[in-house]
Amino acid sequence: MSIHVPEETWFKPPSGAERTWIGLALAWCLVLSIMMPYWHFKGKQNSTGDSYSVTPTAFGARVEQFVKTNKVGETNGIPIVEPSPGGDAYLQAQMWRWYPVLKLKEGQTYRLHVSSMDLQHGFSLLPMNMNFQVLPGYDHVLTITPTIKGEYSIVCNEFCGIGHHLMTGKIVVE
Amino acid sequence: MSTAIAIEPPARESSPSGLSVGNHPSAGVRTCETTGLPVCLTAQQFIRLNAVIAVVALLAGGVAALLVGLTRWPTVHLLDPVWYYRLVTFHGLNMLIFWILFMEIGILYFAATTLLNTRLFSKSLAWTSFAMMLSGAVLVDVTILLGKADVMMTSYVPLKAHSNFYLGIILVAVGTLIGVGNFFGTLYIAKRDKTYIGSVPLVVFGATAAAIIAVVTLLHGAIVMIPTWLWSLDVIKHVDAGWYRLIWWGLGHQSQQVNVCAMVSVWYMLGTITTGAKPINQAVCRGAFVLYILFINLASAHHLLVDPGVGASWKIWNTSYAMYLAVLASMIHGFTVPASVEVAMRKKGHNRGLFGWLAAAPWKNPGFSAFFLSLLIFGFIGGITGVTLGTQQINILAHNTLRIPGHFHSTVVGGTSLAFMGLAYYVVPLIFKREFYARGLARIQPYIFAVGIVIMSLGMSFAGSYGVPRRHWDVQFAGAQFAAGFGSGAHVMLGIMGVGVVLAFVGLITFVLLVVAAVFFGKKIENRPMTAW
Amino acid sequence: MAQEKKPVEVFQKEHEHDEDDHHTPGTVVLTLALLVSFAVYYFANWKALADVWHVR
Repeated sequence: MSIHVPEETWFKPPSGAERTWIGLALAWCLVLSIMMPYWHFKGKQNSTGDSYSVTPTAFGARVEQFVKTNKVGETNGIPIVEPSPGGDAYLQAQMWRWYPVLKLKEGQTYRLHVSSMDLQHGFSLLPMNMNFQVLPGYDHVLTITPTIKGEYSIVCNEFCGIGHHLMTGKIVVE
Repeated sequence: MSTAIAIEPPARESSPSGLSVGNHPSAGVRTCETTGLPVCLTAQQFIRLNAVIAVVALLAGGVAALLVGLTRWPTVHLLDPVWYYRLVTFHGLNMLIFWILFMEIGILYFAATTLLNTRLFSKSLAWTSFAMMLSGAVLVDVTILLGKADVMMTSYVPLKAHSNFYLGIILVAVGTLIGVGNFFGTLYIAKRDKTYIGSVPLVVFGATAAAIIAVVTLLHGAIVMIPTWLWSLDVIKHVDAGWYRLIWWGLGHQSQQVNVCAMVSVWYMLGTITTGAKPINQAVCRGAFVLYILFINLASAHHLLVDPGVGASWKIWNTSYAMYLAVLASMIHGFTVPASVEVAMRKKGHNRGLFGWLAAAPWKNPGFSAFFLSLLIFGFIGGITGVTLGTQQINILAHNTLRIPGHFHSTVVGGTSLAFMGLAYYVVPLIFKREFYARGLARIQPYIFAVGIVIMSLGMSFAGSYGVPRRHWDVQFAGAQFAAGFGSGAHVMLGIMGVGVVLAFVGLITFVLLVVAAVFFGKKIENRPMTAW
Repeated sequence: MAQEKKPVEVFQKEHEHDEDDHHTPGTVVLTLALLVSFAVYYFANWKALADVWHVR
């Protein structure tokens, strides 16, 4: 019984179905373990955590520079910015907006720098449903390749105060 | 069941007074009329105190759960954003921390004293622990309800709450640590006074594993919460957001592993009490608990899988818990627990077919139904979703979406809370010595709660797979700068979630009412066994 | 009262008799069902992941 002191000989190797199950479960655990390094090398979707230390002020300055150089229009008072394919793009998270709007080309790769000016935020790309953490002090670099054309919204999925649910942004892929 | 309880009262060499021997002071122990087990009266007092506060927290958190759930159901959208975020914070702390920690301290005191036939190590430590935990919990709850801590349970810096919020959490953590210390002290005096011979019972072993993980967990809590508290008092200027997340999850995720350990111990205990189950091979069960202790701490990395600041190899190594050895442990318990019930039921002659033993199990006994439903929900929903969402790359699809609460409501609610409810159906008659009213209602309560939680978890999980965020007041983003939103599929899922919330709340409030009615107004059980379920 | 430090029988070693069969076919089916659902859910998620934007 589980609530009694066990017999003296309780220490014995597993046998029968129990032993088989432990073997099966262990084999499954090895499959689980191997999948991640496999996908790291062969898969196209990885979160490598590539990031650099940055102060919010310095990051804000880089975003402004990026906007000034690459601006192609404006919507809802927010600049639309088209970075050069293969180059760097910047996205600034702050209470409660994503700045600026990005215009990307399908099949091109960009180094997307995301950081926060204030609290922690959550980058959530919809309806694609890709999610990354955004922290103040960390320049989080996502090397992304949009594979499907369309208009995407970015919402915040890390609680960032009372206006959290109003924090949206936009990415257009052409 | 025809007998009062499935385990036979042990044959015993009793002293003339009928009391068990051990190291109890005179008049410090009674013999349970139902199980024949010795009950340390000091421990009994603190099991009662902790259980009462646990149920109060469950009620508070449950009311908040209903209001929050009805807000996330888009057609109802009950609360305003201020109270929604406030009550999400309140719900998380009361359910995940207070209800569960108070229950766990009660379980530790029970397992150490009754199953090892010893007195509680220290009454004053038990008082200190209880007083600190209670004052901490009250401080946290009051601070939240006053609107000074709308920061979610995780209180990610630089989001700042009133300093009393952090102080309250520190008090609860240190109080719990003292209670855990009292448990270890009790193990020590039992060993020293030779109140048992050989190895400790499996349930005590599992409780010890939980206690060891709790120490590691609470130390992380101290490391992260003390600087954060000082930061809220402006003593420290800066707390790094990435550092906070790393250490906080050493508290946040590991505390869930304490729950897993405690829940599995309760499974073994309820299996034995309700069906006479006996593990086939205790070395296997104990080995699985050891795997928890060794590897489960790595799981805190699951919350940082799409974070900056930590690299791919760090994420992959920790995600795998070093080759998923802690997952292996859960899969082992997932076999040994039902297998022990199957062996016991077959021995009683329920041998028909593959599942005749399961059909003949005491499903009308809420202790059994809660235990077995907890096992099924934890394994089939909680476990599978947890390991999958916690896979490094797959987490990109799940981080901070409703899939995450969909997962953990099926581990910590459908699993741990339901198992603890099952335990309560024995704690009330055996420790509070009171009979339940409305026993028919008690028999169906675990089913109502379990079905509600399953519907809710699935609704959340599927809504989350559309990308619906967790902790979010308005998924229609009305008034936002750029339009965003979800299609009808996600809304249907949120509606299903809402139905589940209401049903689960009915199950929860039924449980609370049954327990409160029994504890305060139930018929006293004196000099006789409890009425069998 | 009870000064002798003699543990009651319940705290002595359990008298073990049965090395008899631990026949658990129901549990085997139950756990295999778990393993199959696990694998299906797990690989369905990898499939879903393969469909989103590329990212490193």
